[in-house]
Amino acid sequence: MSNEDVVLKVENVHKSYGNNKVLTGVSFEVRRAEIKIICGPSGSGKSTLLRCLNLLTQPDKGHVWLEGEEVTDPTTDISKVRQKIGFVFQEFNLFNHLNALRNVSIGLEVVKGMKKDEARKIALRELGKVGLEEHAHKYPAELSGGQKQRVAIARALAMNPVIMFYDEPTSALDPQLIGEVLDVMKKLAKEKLTSLVVTHEMGFAQSVGDEMMFMIDGKILERGTPLQVIQNPKHKITKLFFEHIAKLYMRQVR
Amino acid sequence: MVWEYLSYIFWGVPWTLGLVGGGLALGFIIGLPIAIGQVYGSKGLKAALDMYVWFFRSTALLVLLFLFFWGVFPAFGFKLDALICSIVVLGLRTGAYQSQIFRGAIESVGEGQLIAACALGMSKLRGIYHIVLPQALRISLPGWSNEYAIILKDSAICFALGVQEILTRTRYVVMATHEPLLPYFIAGALFIVLTYGVTKIINIVYEKAKIPGLVGRM
Repeated sequence: MSNEDVVLKVENVHKSYGNNKVLTGVSFEVRRAEIKIICGPSGSGKSTLLRCLNLLTQPDKGHVWLEGEEVTDPTTDISKVRQKIGFVFQEFNLFNHLNALRNVSIGLEVVKGMKKDEARKIALRELGKVGLEEHAHKYPAELSGGQKQRVAIARALAMNPVIMFYDEPTSALDPQLIGEVLDVMKKLAKEKLTSLVVTHEMGFAQSVGDEMMFMIDGKILERGTPLQVIQNPKHKITKLFFEHIAKLYMRQVR
Repeated sequence: MVWEYLSYIFWGVPWTLGLVGGGLALGFIIGLPIAIGQVYGSKGLKAALDMYVWFFRSTALLVLLFLFFWGVFPAFGFKLDALICSIVVLGLRTGAYQSQIFRGAIESVGEGQLIAACALGMSKLRGIYHIVLPQALRISLPGWSNEYAIILKDSAICFALGVQEILTRTRYVVMATHEPLLPYFIAGALFIVLTYGVTKIINIVYEKAKIPGLVGRM
């Protein structure tokens, strides 16, 4: 594997809040077009890990590189790096005072300095990709949870990122709205958009995930293909976790 | 005769509105940065801003007026006009109050949207400017309209420095005519009209500026 193929390289990342050690040495790489899944119980450090990778949270120790540029180097312009990472949040975090179209175009205008018309065109195209063209004029409060998350995905896509981070993108959604968001994510995965996905959606993980990392206590406990990790885990705790998830999921379906 | 006196009192309205408008504007310029500093600033900055807010909210307005007009400005070699001095003092004071209106509004926007703005590549300041403030200022409007009503009524105290506002002029009329009832009644009515009229206008602006769909929160 050549170095150019590595989009994201993470080395020995640590993060503590006081005595609470959230991340205790996480290392991995994401190759171009790879879909990497992270799962694990709540409090295992998954969200903190994503935020440490684009310095929304400052890691205590360790290094991160995006396309060969060291993100954790203090001289790096972090705003430039963040433009290349599409971040999708559990709680959507749409801009409430802007309609769907402006939610997608504002990054292009403010960050990339694009003209309004040009930004608008791109925003409409990206909203089309997530199936929301006809809702472009609606404000976040007028959209369903699933639609909000799709706008959030379009907002991230518009910046033309080299990698997408999804932080439990369906966890805040009603069960009947999860599908529409997963469908968009699957479509993007099939278009080979490099992604790092924190999720408990095992169906999604198995259908598009290339590798799955199971995290616990701020560490990656085991990794492998999603099928391996879910169906034939090496550790007992991993097995228990997926059994638990399966039970919950069954209850939801019923 | 009566009409002459009446129009003399009416001409206090522009002075009163000058005090209020100037004070509110200065208070906005002072209060908004204080609020931003109090929410996003370092510990040291927050402590300094808290001191400012605490001082101007804890002292009597009349004392502040005398302190600045006779004490602070002369001590620094300024001889400020009574109107300008009054505007400055009203502004410094309402700035402290306004900062708390804006602070509450900024906090109610929530940090998620600012984090999302930063994740897009905006600096924190740009995120505050483009994402947080447009929402916070909308949320502030009712509190701000209340602040207008308060400072309007407080402005009457500037008669103590002889600013030609409504009360000062009314007092002159009373002294000249020895007839207190009608002039003071008129002065009171003028304040009612000014309070009611302008808060009504601010309310209309607030309704117009509402974000579609966000009914409950705003």
